[in-house]
Amino acid sequence: MKNWTGMFWLLLVVLTLALAPGCAKKPATGGNEEQPVVTNVSDKDVSGVDQSGMSGSGVTDRTGQDAGLQAASAALNRIHFAFDQFSLSGEARRTLTANADYLRANPGIKVKIEGHCDERGSDEYNLALGERRAQATKDYLASLGISSSRLMTISYGEEKPLDPASNEAAWAKNRRAEFSPAR
Amino acid sequence: MWYRILTTLTILMLFASQGAAEIEIRAPGQQEIPLAVTRFLAIDQARDRGVEEEIDQVLQFDLELAGLFEFIDPRSFLTDAGKLGLVSIDVDFQEWRLLGADLVIKGAYRLSGQQLVLEARLFDAKGRRLLNGRRYVGQRKDLRRMVHSFVDQTLLSLTGELGPFSGRIAYVSKTTGRKELYLMEVDGAQPIRLTDHRSIVLNPDFSPNGRDVIFTSYKNGNPDLFLKELFTGKERVLSSRSGLNVGGRYDAKGQRIALTLSKDKNPEIYLLHDTGGIEKRATRHWSIDIDPSWAPGGDQIVFVSNRRGNPHLFITDLQNDDVRRLTLKGKYDATPAWSPKGDRIVFSRRIEGQFQVFQIRPDGSDERQLTFGPGNKEHPRWSPDSRFLIYSNDKTGVKELYLMRSDGTGAQKVSAAGEDASHPVWSARW
Repeated sequence: MKNWTGMFWLLLVVLTLALAPGCAKKPATGGNEEQPVVTNVSDKDVSGVDQSGMSGSGVTDRTGQDAGLQAASAALNRIHFAFDQFSLSGEARRTLTANADYLRANPGIKVKIEGHCDERGSDEYNLALGERRAQATKDYLASLGISSSRLMTISYGEEKPLDPASNEAAWAKNRRAEFSPAR
Repeated sequence: MWYRILTTLTILMLFASQGAAEIEIRAPGQQEIPLAVTRFLAIDQARDRGVEEEIDQVLQFDLELAGLFEFIDPRSFLTDAGKLGLVSIDVDFQEWRLLGADLVIKGAYRLSGQQLVLEARLFDAKGRRLLNGRRYVGQRKDLRRMVHSFVDQTLLSLTGELGPFSGRIAYVSKTTGRKELYLMEVDGAQPIRLTDHRSIVLNPDFSPNGRDVIFTSYKNGNPDLFLKELFTGKERVLSSRSGLNVGGRYDAKGQRIALTLSKDKNPEIYLLHDTGGIEKRATRHWSIDIDPSWAPGGDQIVFVSNRRGNPHLFITDLQNDDVRRLTLKGKYDATPAWSPKGDRIVFSRRIEGQFQVFQIRPDGSDERQLTFGPGNKEHPRWSPDSRFLIYSNDKTGVKELYLMRSDGTGAQKVSAAGEDASHPVWSARW
């Protein structure tokens, strides 16, 4: 019994020794194991903008074509807000009262009220804040008797500053609601 | 006798396992492995310096940002760097060990006309064996992509996780004078314009498969949510509800989109099906609720709300609509992004008049500032492997895009100098 076990171990040792030199010469490698992984790269092209198909025409400013709208644009004054606020100051209310008078006298005119912010907050928060400013403006005009069907709102957040500078004066100018008249 | 046999066996086993010594890396910046990056050699063809320089550029950028390596000075390289041998038995590892290199990158290329074959190898100089061997077959214009992909595979063989460098960055640029959507490689190469809206394009996000981008545009006169298929160029409106349709973010499966809608006259977070229909209203509060970002499990959303006064981060549980406050410090938090791995949330915080990038754990612990110094750092977004962040910085007066490691180290500019670039987002690997 002991002999059989001894033979087994002897065999194992002989076999292992026979394999060992091969291992020592090229550890953990063999010709076949080292074949690289082949990747065929076929970059599907992303469709960029076709530069050749572009013309200069794009945005047209319709207010320029209508004397009535031009007059309305001049008559409807913008209002301003405090930092991170959408409440209407006394001055803003007085301006809106004058704007409401103009709209009552010109019942054919609708307005889009644009809410704007200064550049300091985050873009998304400013979109929300700009909307609040436009909404507060619309609500006040409606409270003065202007039909809300004539009043649209849109927020541009900080995307359309009046003054691109980064200082208190510019920021104060940019925190505003504007009136864009339409038929 | 038994004792001797056992001893012999043990020694033999040690011999056999020696070649398999693993290089283990836990996280970027924790340790630096000495790496030799050789210049790739031309196979039986005249050299093309343009090819070689491009390979060098991409390798250097990606490997440097990876933060795992200490680079061996190429001026110290000996004869093996000039030899074409790409099989481990042909590499003179002794020479590399002499220079202190633990890892060696070697490679070769064959350019015939526009056809390009790139051979790239990563060797373990200590273990004298191949760790990552790749052959790329394609066109000359695919070269950068091949090298990015090799680095991704290199990170896989060293860390067990693929790198993110063969993804793309979508972003908003004002190059034409108006904000349009663009796409570029992770290192800023090959930017292309994707939209011609001539309006205002904002806040893109990739579908998880990287094929579609959603974004907000004023093209039709209202901030609507658009979807663009990158490979067909097709574009469609996903949500054009009255008011804001902004901040769209895919969940990890690409089946739902969280966004802010203000159709109720107040900005609320909504969940849409990927076709644009409303699945659920996720917030219900008179305050401003914006900037949603999904937990990877799709069961929670982090968002910004001013319901307690100033804009702070909150997390809502989509099962029971329980809302908890996440950030307690600071006065103005914005644009949270939940990491794909789930363990961290990055965001921008306005501090001393400027936005800086911060991170916090979803349980509210370990809040840390990651960026410092001049410039607003905004819109941080994760690489798909959660190892890196991309964000915009306006310290030069215009917004430019930067990459950094998720611990805040290694910041590098990636957008063109002077280009007004913002709202970056990192795609899955292409």
